[in-house]
Amino acid sequence: MGKIYEYQVLRVNLSNGEISRETIAGEKVKKFLGGRGLASKMLYDEIDPKVDPLSPENKLIYATGLLTGTAASTGGRYMVITKGPLTGTIASSNSGGFFGAEMRFSGNDIIVFEGKAEKPVYLSLKGDQAELKDASHLWGKGVYDTTDMLIEEFGDEKARVSCIGPAGENMVKFASIMNEKDRAAGRTGVGAVMGSKNLKAIVVKAGEKQVEYFKDEMMEVVKKQTKTLKEDGVTGEGLPALGTKVLDNVINEHGAYPRNNFQYGTFDKVEEVSGEALVEKGYLQNNKGCYGCPIRCGRHTKLPNGQEGEGPEYETGWAFGADCGVSDLNAIVQANFLCNDLGLDTISAGATIAAAMELYEKGYVDKEELENGPELTFGSSESVTYYTRQMAYREGFGDQLAEGSYRLAESKGNAELSMSVKKQELPAYDPRGIQGQGLNYATSNRGGCHVRGYMVSPEVLGVPEKLDPQELKGKPEWVKIFQDLTAVIDSLGMCLFTSFALGLEDYTEIANAGTEFEYSPEEMLENGERIYNLERQFNLEAGITPDQDKLPKRFDEPLPDGTFRGTAAKYREILPEYYEVRGWQQDGWISDEKLSEMGLK
Amino acid sequence: MSLKVKFHSLFRIKLKSRGHEYQLEDEIDVMELIDLLDDDYDGYFSKKLLDAGEISPGSIILVNGENVIHKDGVKTKIKDGDTVTLFPPSAGG
Ligand code: SF4
Repeated sequence: MGKIYEYQVLRVNLSNGEISRETIAGEKVKKFLGGRGLASKMLYDEIDPKVDPLSPENKLIYATGLLTGTAASTGGRYMVITKGPLTGTIASSNSGGFFGAEMRFSGNDIIVFEGKAEKPVYLSLKGDQAELKDASHLWGKGVYDTTDMLIEEFGDEKARVSCIGPAGENMVKFASIMNEKDRAAGRTGVGAVMGSKNLKAIVVKAGEKQVEYFKDEMMEVVKKQTKTLKEDGVTGEGLPALGTKVLDNVINEHGAYPRNNFQYGTFDKVEEVSGEALVEKGYLQNNKGCYGCPIRCGRHTKLPNGQEGEGPEYETGWAFGADCGVSDLNAIVQANFLCNDLGLDTISAGATIAAAMELYEKGYVDKEELENGPELTFGSSESVTYYTRQMAYREGFGDQLAEGSYRLAESKGNAELSMSVKKQELPAYDPRGIQGQGLNYATSNRGGCHVRGYMVSPEVLGVPEKLDPQELKGKPEWVKIFQDLTAVIDSLGMCLFTSFALGLEDYTEIANAGTEFEYSPEEMLENGERIYNLERQFNLEAGITPDQDKLPKRFDEPLPDGTFRGTAAKYREILPEYYEVRGWQQDGWISDEKLSEMGLK
Repeated sequence: MSLKVKFHSLFRIKLKSRGHEYQLEDEIDVMELIDLLDDDYDGYFSKKLLDAGEISPGSIILVNGENVIHKDGVKTKIKDGDTVTLFPPSAGG
């Protein structure tokens, strides 16, 4: 056995308990890579895009990337692909840690779950055995307990667990799937789909490594890339020291740090909650890394009350912090730990509370609805922890919050107060201060999201080169390339953070070294474009039409504060050009010619 | 004139300082400010912020919130009352 050229698929029918195996090889793997790409192709081929995401007809696919489990730097990632209940779009959530690599070692490169189990179950993968087991005793348990109990039951402390918490069981629309307790396939509600299938967890421990992925040829490239990552200012110094939370001050100074549900673009209390504060207050203990990662951006934190865990990431700190007007770092970290244990996406959880705060302050939510819960006012640190717990259990007002900010605001007669795109909550960058990011938000295939084309990097951070954040010229091309390249990196199973130091040539080189395929950089980027088109086509067929390529109305109003005071979002001016650059029709649909050109028809 | 310099990220953590204020006779530009900081911090800032006399990739220098790359780079003038904010290469997501 040598390099990768085929995928072993484990198919698990939860309705009748049947488990079967199949192999995908050749062109399909070559053209869709692995992970997000290949699994999206399978989902598109196997389900009707119109299915109800929480019905047994939807499928849930766990997929390793093309290079997951190899020696590639950061090559430890797995993705969960399904139709998402929050957005109704195709959903692909990506997680690091060690679960993905173990899954690959076990010879299960992709696992497809179909149907719905009658009672709660989990999938046990021991060596080459695959077995569905009763999970009744785990149902209702948090992620931490579930992980500990499963490892104990499995009888091997080196086993890896990926599971849902109560939020997934209760089908909270933005429930996450968690592995190694604190690592999240966070966004788009993949955990709710898992819950809808009565599937609590997967626990895996490989027998022997099924494939030898450490060939000399690959090691040479790996060594070179590791050196690049170690020497780069961002991946070698900034991320290891402060993690993603280095961004609080950067984005705040830039005037794109949303406060109070995006009503403002700066937060005067940022010093209380920034990454620097996490260090200065003594909460940060040490940094941690995922499988094969030389960057090690993970944070291990400990609160004065002794609680420990991972995080917060920049997005999380912002969602429970500035977006809710909260400056109590202790409460923010607690809300983060709660999300990890309950299995909630931190961005959507925090941003939904922020939207609820605005709805409450403006009189769209009555005090009675809160049923003795704390008042939902901006700045209330008590609210962020209280309602996070409530939404996971769908208790009291939490039941309405569990539907996400869009459905909540819509039910109160004011959908425009939800800061979301395609019903998914926007992350921590105001698009009025970063115009290319605005275009990316509007056209992201999984709704409001920053990791489908992180334009913040060139527009604010100056990586790989500094672009003017207010300039529109050339942005559609940039957005397209970023979106396509991101699809490549995800599908390879590498971490997006490598892209601060590595480029298309590097990804092509490592893929060529680790697989049987020979790609040119152009072909590699075309793979990304193919994946992006496929996801878009799925969404179009699901009924998510191009008129949804838009931001909430708030962003048509100028920013009231900060460096870009007086500026509104201008993505509408460049959307037609973006469609053109993509080779799509003027109306945003994809023509049959384009689909055949991409090998999708 | 007076100007305020703010340190963030690793600058702040390594130097254990949140910034520096200067009272000067004349207006200066960004390069001259880096020279001043180098005098006070043992050559630290030019090493971290510059690459062959230009702003190194990923380093961020803001004057009143605006990135000097989109102004006159290291020649950007700093006026009385301005705030200059410095970041080493930073990123996240
Ligand atoms: S950079 Fe951070 S998230 Fe990415 S693989 Fe490394 S530790 Fe994990």
